[in-house]
Amino acid sequence: MTTVRLPAGGLGTAAAAASVGALALSLPPLRTLIEQSMVWHMLVQMPLLVAAGALGAVVLQQRRAATSGTRAGRLDGINRFGLTGFMFALVVGAYWMIPATVDRAVVLPGADAAKIVSLWLGGAALQRAFSRAPAAVQLFFVGSAVPMAVWVGVYLASTDLRLCNAYSLASQITTGRGLVVLSLLAGATWLGWIGVLARRLQPCTQGDGDGEQPSGQREPQRG
Amino acid sequence: MAGLPGTFAASLAVLLVGLAALFMATGGGAGFTTETLRRSQVAVAPVSIPDFQLVDANGQAASLHTLLARDGRVWIVDFVYTRCPTLCVALGSVFQQLQAKIAARGLQQQVGVLTISFDPVHDRPAALADYARRMQMQPDVWHLVSLQDAADRRRLLDSFGIMVVPAPRGEFEHNAALHVLRPDGLLVRIVDLAEPDVALAAAVATGSPPGIAMAPR
Repeated sequence: MTTVRLPAGGLGTAAAAASVGALALSLPPLRTLIEQSMVWHMLVQMPLLVAAGALGAVVLQQRRAATSGTRAGRLDGINRFGLTGFMFALVVGAYWMIPATVDRAVVLPGADAAKIVSLWLGGAALQRAFSRAPAAVQLFFVGSAVPMAVWVGVYLASTDLRLCNAYSLASQITTGRGLVVLSLLAGATWLGWIGVLARRLQPCTQGDGDGEQPSGQREPQRG
Repeated sequence: MAGLPGTFAASLAVLLVGLAALFMATGGGAGFTTETLRRSQVAVAPVSIPDFQLVDANGQAASLHTLLARDGRVWIVDFVYTRCPTLCVALGSVFQQLQAKIAARGLQQQVGVLTISFDPVHDRPAALADYARRMQMQPDVWHLVSLQDAADRRRLLDSFGIMVVPAPRGEFEHNAALHVLRPDGLLVRIVDLAEPDVALAAAVATGSPPGIAMAPR
């Protein structure tokens, strides 16, 4: 049990720090950053919320493993191959890439709260999905999400239209370029990660045809 | 464990709820930006603009409602700050075109243009007079006013749906458009800056309901 708790401490701190940091950006005095800069809003706060949710999911899972001895989450039954998790993350991501919703999060506290909750949960859903999905499903998700984000980024950076009433055109162009870089980095990170996993799992995949591999976590209660 | 059927059902439910949220966020697919949504919402449900105390280039005070209702004209309204070197110059030239068209077509009795400054601290009567000179405003067509009380600025911008954001070099950026207002203060249409003819046609149509327009004098 103690072997589980030790890494959970570091991860727990990271998850809490990311969550508090992202939340602080929505409250004064840091709120002026996301009110005045689309970069702080879309390239710092939003990714930080997703990362916080993903870390939070890992911490919750480890805590569950330590207390009840199972890594299985309550929602895993309706999240086979991570399908539901990916779907949720895609929908949340698409929603917060619409300029009108970004404006609303700047102006309306209720919309901002919904943004914080949904992106955090989206990050948690992504973590669960990536840890359960076979590589083919992951490829399908990454292959649709990354081009979508790159396209949005190119559009933000190249259009003459100011899309968000809350932000200047200069801020929008910088955000667009950053979004392209960030999405490509995320895609490259996934490729590297899946490559490492594939190499590590090669001896085990022999004859393992149930389509659940490669998977980051081994689920002992299965099989 | 609900298994695969449960997963499919849950994924479908997430997708449907997500699509519903996207549908609502875009006004039923009317637009992806606040500006297109603002324009389509006003076209469907006109907005009643509250009254504000204004001041003109002569230092004369008047309320917005009195000014709008003065002679039964429909107004095309825009917002500027007179220090603005970029967008407002474009906006100014759009208004110069409008002014020329109104005069050329003899619509002075039906349509007026009204420019409101959203920079009440700087835009006092002297600054307004200077801007009016630069823009060669004809007083029978084009009116220029500023807020009397700077504290009203936020309420004025909110009531029209204008967002002003600071930009580099001390400038402002704002969603500029042509707002068609009836004499009773109802905002009935918002037209893109690039389409002054559409705004003018909308203003003329607003001022003369079909039945009256056809009736001989």
